[in-house]
Amino acid sequence: MPFKRFVEIGRVALVNYGKDYGRLVVIVDVVDQNRALVDAPDMVRCQINFKRLSLTDIKIDIKRVPKKTTLLKAMEEADVKNKWENSSWGKKLIVQKRRASLNDFDRFKVMLAKIKVILSSILD
Amino acid sequence: MKTILASETMDIPEGVIVQVAAKVVTVEGPRGKLTRNFKHLNIDFQLLEGGRKLQVDAWFGTRRTMAAIRTAISHVQNLITGVTRGYRYRMRFVYAHFPINASITNSNTAIEIRNFLGEKKVRKVDMLDGVTILRSEKVKDELILDGNDVELVSRSAALINQVRVLSYLNHANVCSAVAFDP
Repeated sequence: MPFKRFVEIGRVALVNYGKDYGRLVVIVDVVDQNRALVDAPDMVRCQINFKRLSLTDIKIDIKRVPKKTTLLKAMEEADVKNKWENSSWGKKLIVQKRRASLNDFDRFKVMLAKIKVILSSILD
Repeated sequence: MKTILASETMDIPEGVIVQVAAKVVTVEGPRGKLTRNFKHLNIDFQLLEGGRKLQVDAWFGTRRTMAAIRTAISHVQNLITGVTRGYRYRMRFVYAHFPINASITNSNTAIEIRNFLGEKKVRKVDMLDGVTILRSEKVKDELILDGNDVELVSRSAALINQVRVLSYLNHANVCSAVAFDP
């Protein structure tokens, strides 16, 4: 019942609105009651409103406002990428992305595959 | 401005079991079980130390929300005393000329008041859930209301007190009442 995911230095969050939609970022500092300073390996450090963030279960061990290299090393050690891609939330996002990027031929192939699955479950 | 976190903790005594789920608090003790719904408050309830402590949090609270923390704790404390010791309200009949006749009916859950200010009208008051009413034996003209839930007991007492409200008289001048005994 109490809250489990807190806004703290090192909390990994997903951006859910705006230019960086879908990007995994790390909260590196808290600016004020509404905004945080976030950083990710492939972007320039910037400030973002908490309303644009969805907190995840992942947390890494860093001090306030670390250098980029320190941050990268800490993310490697905490294995953020793998933890995210193996989590059910992360897996769902990957599937959504894949489905959105299908072209018409791919969708045709998916349709055939689905029919095959259904037929095989009826006949077995 | 909004305060990030304000919280208060209260101790739960031995022999009382408190359960919290979705802002509904249930308290169980020797005298029975009471429930209270706090869904109208933006407050977090949390049981710590295996049920020995109750923590109440308000995240990003305005002044009003933070004030509600302490009232929620007071309400839970009232539930706990209700369930361990119970609540008793005493009332006295006050009259200058016409003696107030009261009879307790319905196996101690209703009271009929006659001869209030000499009127023929019989006033009946039903007690709320879980509240019993008795005429005190030793003290003249006294009523005793007992129950677990302080809100229900006190409201029953208030309902009895309301018999003195007569629309055709200024009730400040009326010299009869069923009054609370502090």
